[in-house]
Amino acid sequence: MQSSKIINYDYSVAKLFAIATIVFGIVGMVVGVWIAFQMAYPELNNLANEYGTFGRLRPLHTNIAIFGFILSGVWATWYYIGQRVLKVSMIESPFLMILGKIHFWLYLVGVVGVVVSLFMGITSSKEYAEFEWPIDIAIVVVWVIWGIGIFGLIGIRREKILYISVWYYIATFLGVAMLYLFNNMAVPTYFVTGFGDWWHSVSMYAGTNDAMVQWWYGHNAVAFIFTVPIIAMIYYFLPKESGQPIFSYKLSILSFWGLMFVYLWAGGHHLLYSTVPDWVQTMGSIFSIVLILPSWGSAINMLLTMKGEWQQLKDNPLIKFMVLASTFYMFSTIEGPIQAIKSVNALAHFTDWIPGHVHDGTLGWVGFMIIASLLHMAPRMFKREIYSKKLLESQFWIQTTGIVLYFSSMWIAGLTQGMMWRATDQYGNLAYSFIDTVNVLHPYYTIRGVGGLLYLIGFCMFAYNFYKTMTVGKEIEEEPHSTSPMAA
Amino acid sequence: MFHWLEKNPFFFAVAVFVVIAYAGIITILPDFMNSARPVVGTKPYTVLELAGRHVYIKDSCNACHSQLIRPFKSETDRYGMYSLSGEYAYDRPFLWGSKRTGPDLMRVGNYRTTDWHENHMLNPKSLVPGSIMPKYGHMFSNVADIETAYAEALTVKKVFNVPYDEIDMPKLGTFEESSKIVLAEAKMIVDDMKSPEVKAAFARGEIKEIVAIIAYMNSLK
Amino acid sequence: MNWLNDNVNLLGLIGAAAIIIITIFVVGKYIKQIKYDKSTGELADENWDGIGEYKNPLPIGWSISFIGTIIWALWYFLVGYPLNGYSQIGEYNEEVEAYNTKFESKWANPDDQTLLGMGEGVFLVQCAPCHGITGDGINGKSADLTIWGSEKAIVDVIVNGSKGMNYPLGEMPAGLLDATSAKAVAAYMVEKVTKTGTQNADLVAMGETLWVTCTICHGEDSKGMNGSSPDISNYGKPEFIVNVLNIGKKGSIGNMPSFNDGRLTDIQKLSVGKYVNSLTQ
Ligand code: HEC
Ligand code: HEC
Ligand code: HEC
Ligand code: HEM
Ligand code: HEM
Ligand SMILES: [Ca+2]
Ligand SMILES: [Ca+2]
Ligand SMILES: [Cu+2]
Repeated sequence: MQSSKIINYDYSVAKLFAIATIVFGIVGMVVGVWIAFQMAYPELNNLANEYGTFGRLRPLHTNIAIFGFILSGVWATWYYIGQRVLKVSMIESPFLMILGKIHFWLYLVGVVGVVVSLFMGITSSKEYAEFEWPIDIAIVVVWVIWGIGIFGLIGIRREKILYISVWYYIATFLGVAMLYLFNNMAVPTYFVTGFGDWWHSVSMYAGTNDAMVQWWYGHNAVAFIFTVPIIAMIYYFLPKESGQPIFSYKLSILSFWGLMFVYLWAGGHHLLYSTVPDWVQTMGSIFSIVLILPSWGSAINMLLTMKGEWQQLKDNPLIKFMVLASTFYMFSTIEGPIQAIKSVNALAHFTDWIPGHVHDGTLGWVGFMIIASLLHMAPRMFKREIYSKKLLESQFWIQTTGIVLYFSSMWIAGLTQGMMWRATDQYGNLAYSFIDTVNVLHPYYTIRGVGGLLYLIGFCMFAYNFYKTMTVGKEIEEEPHSTSPMAA
Repeated sequence: MFHWLEKNPFFFAVAVFVVIAYAGIITILPDFMNSARPVVGTKPYTVLELAGRHVYIKDSCNACHSQLIRPFKSETDRYGMYSLSGEYAYDRPFLWGSKRTGPDLMRVGNYRTTDWHENHMLNPKSLVPGSIMPKYGHMFSNVADIETAYAEALTVKKVFNVPYDEIDMPKLGTFEESSKIVLAEAKMIVDDMKSPEVKAAFARGEIKEIVAIIAYMNSLK
Repeated sequence: MNWLNDNVNLLGLIGAAAIIIITIFVVGKYIKQIKYDKSTGELADENWDGIGEYKNPLPIGWSISFIGTIIWALWYFLVGYPLNGYSQIGEYNEEVEAYNTKFESKWANPDDQTLLGMGEGVFLVQCAPCHGITGDGINGKSADLTIWGSEKAIVDVIVNGSKGMNYPLGEMPAGLLDATSAKAVAAYMVEKVTKTGTQNADLVAMGETLWVTCTICHGEDSKGMNGSSPDISNYGKPEFIVNVLNIGKKGSIGNMPSFNDGRLTDIQKLSVGKYVNSLTQ
């Protein structure tokens, strides 16, 4: 406690990543809102020739949201939390300082490469692993740099015992490294034959095997990017902002190791009723159900940390964001397992219920946690008060409304679509042509678009608030211990 | 009790890695060889079809279309026989998709035709009122990348022993030989098409993306 | 239609309800604790950047559920549905069998009305993408089924020829007869051969004299000379359409796919033939 006051933490890298988080957040969500409206009003596909079609933009949305917005957020918080819970400043090691900066700028170059190549239609088509091999290699380099950064900082730490958040950051690092490497194994065709585009490659795996590797990756990319590092955030920012001790160390530890063990088995739930062996599918289903508990363990630990703190929940919008985030985390981690039950998946798979599930997690859990984390960091990084609490309060309600519209419309759309695909008339024929099932979805696609737009508006309010905090927020002398100071 | 591990980052990392690593090995490896075996009659894609497949990937048709027919009566009635593992033996990457904004295309070659695709890709709404599929006019002016398709075919032949040039299998040969075959194949499609632009280009020896993607669509059976 | 007759629909809806109910119930419980409870416990010695940790025991409900799911998982995998104890293709076969017993016996001898109803359903799903919802061929993009099979259509065939069904005799050449003679032959054909009735009764006699033009290829009995050309005695009738569905047609308008990949049963083909026939004005 005392030494943490003496140490002069350096947030220059954290600040860079925080700004990147906000910029990529806006870009990713603008594209998200755009493609959402394209599904309701397909004319919107034709505004930029081939570059504006849904097919080109969708991977752009997912990749900017995941590898731009979320990863920047993960790194912004790592470069903040890491120093503080290890009780060591980056200033103490010029090497780590430079490494951090290289990490950021190289990453930025990578993102530019990603955006350009996806617009050009250079993609390997595997979801969340669309990039061709030159970008894959750049990503591996960036990743290794981050890894050196993590273990470097750990190496010079003063706090001997690793805090829970650090466990999760380490797991993120290892998990993604392993998954990414194996799923992106490919043979560059130009170098084998001397013909064609130099960046083109062909997957090492074919057909069913490719699918198995892809969803072993895809599912766990969700685990190690949408879940594990976000848990790292909540384990630090919620107790820190509220000043409450973690409810239970035992629960932390069981949830962590439980999550690590169980998650990796569940990938088969993306391949139910496909051509992968029945027993692999069954594994995917049952491990998904077991996964509820280690997932909920962390969320419950957080909610119980707030035991008796209703007043804080009412007064402090940051706590509101974080408690609702835990709730959405619980919501999507029961939704996922139920969608992983075979008969439910028979209905849900391929429908809009899945994007519904996805955004319960990404908007409600990931988005809210990143917003709350950056806002907690802002007064401490810039030594200024948060610019406006009122703005923050309205942002909270606007975004919450947005999420509710998003998921309720997609639930209805998905269930309707799933049931219409299966429906038969009294003669036993299919009752609906495919286009019938598209036409009924129009109103829901519109509602989803509006919900997304609300969420985006809220995010822009956050960006504005953050920018104002950075530039004109009231200066503060001493770092607040818990509750972040904010102007009304 | 775990404090020991939490004080030793190296062993902590090793422990995490061990715990997360073996699930993949246990679920993926046992059936690996089995899943790679083609069903009798499955053939690798011709170079023109592969070029079309690249267009499919370039424009992310897989964002809206699946290629996986699940074993339900409602799906086999709509799309045909359910998918078998070996039918995908030459699919690199697999294109099962995860969302059906549009219909499954695993066997679309059975029930849609060149002229239909030509009209549909140009303007889906002209055939299917209410369609939300984008127009793909640019495929009528972009030229298909046959060379990269050839490079891929040759790569999989060399590296993964895909049986090009074997009896009853598509012929690859040298790039020049292959180009001739591609032109002959494209001609059959161009003949069934109406677009003067595409026909004129073909007369100049150019194969437009639309021709390649139709070749690919027709090969999906 | 009863949505809940379908097991999958039912389980899907129950699942959706369960997600909401369980979340509200469990989160509600913790919100209550946030409101009314008090945090207690023995603090651990460690402290990270001001964050402490209680040494509280595991929540009992959570622990029991965790152990419960693990036991259930073991049971499921080892006893309930052990390795290879379940096959999705087996399940599919059962589904198809159950379907067949339900529908094929029910509609084993369908009357015309039933066939028409059945055919309309098939048409809208399988044919409308090309022929349009009304069957009008969408501005000439495929055959206009509202006139197909009519007297007028026969004139058209005679004048413009026909191709694409891959008969041994190949194509039927265009311009076999001039327009007036074609009209007469068509009148004769619908009156005497297909017996669907003509609107130009006065031309039948003339048509009869010209009919030999057709018998060269289609045979004396119009039945196509053992498959050398199509059997036109059933032209404009469901049977002819069934034949088109079986072989497809790569004509001068475009390409009509064949439907023999198993998606349509014989009875469905007949029913859609009936329905298409009913579209002809
Ligand atoms: C925004 C989503 C979207 C994208 C992207 C998209 N499609 Fe479609 N597609 C649809 C919808 C919706 C339908 C059903 C309505 C129709 O037939 O137009 C459809 C229908 C089709 C059909 C007809 C299938 C059938 O059984 O009737 C084909 C073939 C097809 N698309 C090919 C493609 C190809 C090739 C691409 C990429 C170049 C593509 N689609 C991209 C949405 C999309
Ligand atoms: C040279 C041989 C030949 C002669 C002569 C001939 N037909 Fe045909 N006819 C065919 C063949 C072959 C087909 C099948 C063509 C195809 O593949 O669509 C056919 C098809 C038809 C069809 C079905 C067209 C469709 O829409 O599928 C009709 C009706 C028909 N003929 C009527 C006649 C009549 C009436 C005459 C006399 C005026 C006649 N044909 C003379 C060979 C002939
Ligand atoms: C992929 C598009 C497509 C589909 C699907 C399709 N058709 Fe066709 N059909 C065509 C085209 C194109 C023609 C015109 C062929 C020609 O004469 O050039 C045609 C022609 C026909 C003809 C006239 C054949 C003749 O002898 O002149 C009939 C009858 C017909 N279709 C019935 C059906 C029925 C019934 C279905 C559904 C079960 C169906 N079609 C589905 C495209 C299609
Ligand atoms: C216990 C935890 C979870 C389980 C068991 C689970 C299960 C599932 C299932 C069954 C699917 C649908 C597969 C399909 O039919 O296509 C799915 C899709 C998805 N889930 Fe989850 N989910 C969980 C938590 C989460 C969380 C917390 C997030 C995000 C924050 C998330 C993000 C996604 C994404 C992005 C997809 C889409 C994958 C695709 O592209 O098809 N999941 N999940
Ligand atoms: C403004 C808010 C957003 C809107 C309107 C939006 C909209 C969309 C749309 C329309 C899709 C395509 C769904 C389909 O193909 O049917 C999509 C997919 C996806 N989005 Fe978003 N999105 C938003 C924010 C986000 C954020 C913040 C993230 C991540 C942090 C995210 C992650 C994803 C993912 C992973 C998918 C793929 C889902 C799948 O394949 O099943 N989105 N989004
Ligand atoms: Ca890649
Ligand atoms: Ca997806
Ligand atoms: Cu998953």
